[in-house]
Amino acid sequence: MSPKIQVFKSILVLVFFLSFQYTKAQSDPSGEKRVTGTIAIKNATITTAPGKTIQNGTILIKNGLIEAVGTNITIPKEAQVISADSLFIYPGFIDGASTAGVGKAPEPEKPSDYNPANPPDDIAGITPWRNVIDIYDNKNNQINDWRKSGFTIAQLIPEGGMMPGKTAIVLFGNPSSTNILSQNSALVVKFQAARGGGRIYPGTPLGIMAKFRDVYKNAELASRHGKLFASNNGLNRPEINKTYEAMYPVVDKNIPVLFEANDDIEIRRALSLQKENGFRLILSGVSSVEKVTNEIKAANAQVLLSMKLPDDKVTKAKMEELSEEMQARTKRVQEAYQSTLKQAAFLEAAGIPFGFTSMGAKSGDTFKNLRLMVENGLTENGALAALTINNANILGIQKFAGTLEKGKSANMVILTAPLLDEETQVKHVVADGFMFDYEIKEKKNGNGEKNGTNGAVAIDGFWEYTSDTPAGSSSGTLEIKKEGDSYKGTITYDNPAGGGQASSEMKNINLSGSNLTFSFDVAAGGMSLVVNVSGEVSGDQISGNLSLAEYGSFPMNATKKPKSF
Amino acid sequence: MKKIIYIIAAILVMGWNSANSQTQKGSVLIKNATVLTVTKGILEDTDVLVENGIIKKIGKGLTASNVTTIDAKGKYVMPGIIDAHSHVALDAVNEGTAPITSEVRMADVIDPYDIGLYRALAGGVTVSHAMHGSANAIGGQNITLKHRYGSGNPDDLIMKDAARTIKFALGENPTRVHGRGNGIQPRSRMGVEAVIRNGFNDAIQYKKTWETYNNALKVKGATPVPPKYSERLQTLVDILDGKIIIHCHSYRADEIYMLINVCREFGITNIVFSHVNEGFKVAPELAAYTMGASVFADWWAYKFEVYYSTAFNAAILTQNGVITSINSDSGELIRHLYHEAGKAQRYGELTDEQTLALITINPAKQLGIADKVGSIEEGKQADLVIFNDHPLSVYAIPQMTFVDGVKYFDINEDPNDMRLRVAATESIEPIFLKEHDHKCMHGVDFFFTNFGRSLFDHEH
Repeated sequence: MSPKIQVFKSILVLVFFLSFQYTKAQSDPSGEKRVTGTIAIKNATITTAPGKTIQNGTILIKNGLIEAVGTNITIPKEAQVISADSLFIYPGFIDGASTAGVGKAPEPEKPSDYNPANPPDDIAGITPWRNVIDIYDNKNNQINDWRKSGFTIAQLIPEGGMMPGKTAIVLFGNPSSTNILSQNSALVVKFQAARGGGRIYPGTPLGIMAKFRDVYKNAELASRHGKLFASNNGLNRPEINKTYEAMYPVVDKNIPVLFEANDDIEIRRALSLQKENGFRLILSGVSSVEKVTNEIKAANAQVLLSMKLPDDKVTKAKMEELSEEMQARTKRVQEAYQSTLKQAAFLEAAGIPFGFTSMGAKSGDTFKNLRLMVENGLTENGALAALTINNANILGIQKFAGTLEKGKSANMVILTAPLLDEETQVKHVVADGFMFDYEIKEKKNGNGEKNGTNGAVAIDGFWEYTSDTPAGSSSGTLEIKKEGDSYKGTITYDNPAGGGQASSEMKNINLSGSNLTFSFDVAAGGMSLVVNVSGEVSGDQISGNLSLAEYGSFPMNATKKPKSF
Repeated sequence: MKKIIYIIAAILVMGWNSANSQTQKGSVLIKNATVLTVTKGILEDTDVLVENGIIKKIGKGLTASNVTTIDAKGKYVMPGIIDAHSHVALDAVNEGTAPITSEVRMADVIDPYDIGLYRALAGGVTVSHAMHGSANAIGGQNITLKHRYGSGNPDDLIMKDAARTIKFALGENPTRVHGRGNGIQPRSRMGVEAVIRNGFNDAIQYKKTWETYNNALKVKGATPVPPKYSERLQTLVDILDGKIIIHCHSYRADEIYMLINVCREFGITNIVFSHVNEGFKVAPELAAYTMGASVFADWWAYKFEVYYSTAFNAAILTQNGVITSINSDSGELIRHLYHEAGKAQRYGELTDEQTLALITINPAKQLGIADKVGSIEEGKQADLVIFNDHPLSVYAIPQMTFVDGVKYFDINEDPNDMRLRVAATESIEPIFLKEHDHKCMHGVDFFFTNFGRSLFDHEH
């Protein structure tokens, strides 16, 4: 069994052991409150586009479209009025590249004459004819996670090998709609071989570069043959090949290639293929870019910067306790870490209008990571543009999305504080004219006065939790001990291998105010999966989420118990 | 003040670079050295003047204004060492998924951040031949690198005026990977020969198909149908047309002689054999029909086909008139190729000049760059190494290494941490006790995990 399948199986196991128990305390992701007739959101601070803010403004929405935005708006009698005093409205976020709700494509079957040196295209990870919508589940919980972070539109990326298929642009609106804005919008290419690489041609970046050239060049030739055959007599018929046919829109420059390229090395490789062949290029999932900004501009390529930032493991290192050599090494890692936070600022300074992609990132980190990039040189307007209008332009949907203007689709995120304020929370998201409401957690003062308890939040002790997924419910315990300034703990959970409970050490336990975060590893099917937990502690209750990297998050609630001996 | 000058200089250099997108060229005057020219004898107490990356003048009492002058009295200057078989600075080595992969290009997967480049510079190596691995009968197109370590741009490392080369491989590696690993041809040495022959024959057909099409296009009003494009076959056509030099991984005399015959049959003369542990058995044939042999000094017995070997190999080949070089095939050996050459001299009693040629002008000939590098001559590119002692002495230590007249290594200005890029989260990056990265069979280990790692865990 390939590692990929194993991971997938492990995820399935996990999904089974977690479960879903709908609680009233959760947000309302149902989107049932369609803003049908006419609605006015009144007295809000409205940022219609980067740098354009209206104080005490009103947005009038009619049948899912923005009817008017401004201060002097006559509210019609039939309008339902929502008072939004002290709220902040921004255009709904657009995700330049997302895998939310995208499943795995069916495994192709090996033919009887299978030869790994010359495999069929689908086995080699070359499926440019595939439409991501065919493997998209618009009721997937990941969509709720991203919408809850303010995202209303996303370009979906198909999973697979070096040429997994074509993207689609969807709304995160009411699941009863298909929510599709466009299909076959871009061709995805990546330096990733099928089945982990190495066994099937092409198996490495070497082969992928060569195979891309081969497919591109032969698609051009096949296209020429087809045109000749259509207009001349006495020619051999073209051999219809669905890989080449699926390449025609790229070869004809009707759609771009979305190349997944993480760092300057991969970006240069994608740029060199672009230079040789002349296709339109979007670089996606970029995380290290400062060395190639000139080349990107020269190629007129567009950039989707990764919203994922590395964990800060070094800036708080206790340097004085380290040896001289380790001090020097740590200093370099600190510089490297700081540099990753500055990539957005580099792109902005270079005059490259980039957008963000969520791929590989956690939805819960959206606002935190935005703040980090702004603290490291990105302007506030640049941050908002990368979430809205820049992505609308890159995706070619600026006509109806990206800003709050009359006639545009009613997509917006309504916050309790300005976008980059540390206290900001998403209160409502309007997507495709559907209103989604979210519970606002009351922020406590650092010393927990409002908590009614005396002084600091206490997490040490014995907790019982339940967690919920669509597949069912499960439970376990947390045992947390305070050791000096830090915590140690053990979590138990239903054994994914079946039969009773398993336990893991809780790692990176961090209590910041009343916000508790930790992670733990689950061994499943020979793989180790990291589960991240974050929650708000309130007296003897913890309410939060269990998240599995790219596979979404699930609610979790814990109650403190006196341990019975 | 000094700092400001550095900053201004850096800005000037950067501005110049981005304007011309060319690599940096330096000027330097090395005074009073013992110059080991390799091709023009030993010149005592001699100066070498480098201007804009080119050796301008070799002589006594040279002067130049506005040029850094280095007093090399008591020291030795030799041409930058050239490694004709290396896998340093590559992200991927083997596209080990098909018996012929002549369409893949090592230029696509250069890793300009590889610290191995700096280590090579510290060993006086200025040019390396970054090769595809030996998993396939016909591997990928190699790339010749100049060790201009520092920019992070792979393009800066490419020696643009070098000849095109390609990797071939005979014997156990291709038969193991494809025959035993995947159950396809080649499963035996005969199969390897068949794969190569069939490849060349297909290439002849391919060439003819495209010639027919291109000729038909010239007829007014004609609408010929374009044939399929194959860079794999086009590359083989280029080999047949003499545009590409073959560098073939090989050990046994019989298979070396086999490929010599195949090449003669197809009219190919541009071929170099690599490793060639049994080369001494076919030395006259290698001398007559090939561009020579690139060997190890004393490395063998790491698998069955490499048992019959001798440390006299390089000397026997040299004395038979074979163009012979000594290569590293390793990120470690590349740091002391002058010692490796010294071993060949110790066994075979070669002269100093013959010995130094093994790591300079001879590999340059095999890479098709002997008119540009490989010796200290006026008009050649200024790739130079200054040694504290004669480079064939066991006490020799490289002091400075220049590429195109630019100093990339100086033992007196050698910071502890020369990495160009570090991870953002780990202070100690993982280090593998057994180096897998720079070797011929990189990336294909799993092909033979099923039949006993201990038997097959060899990488050359």
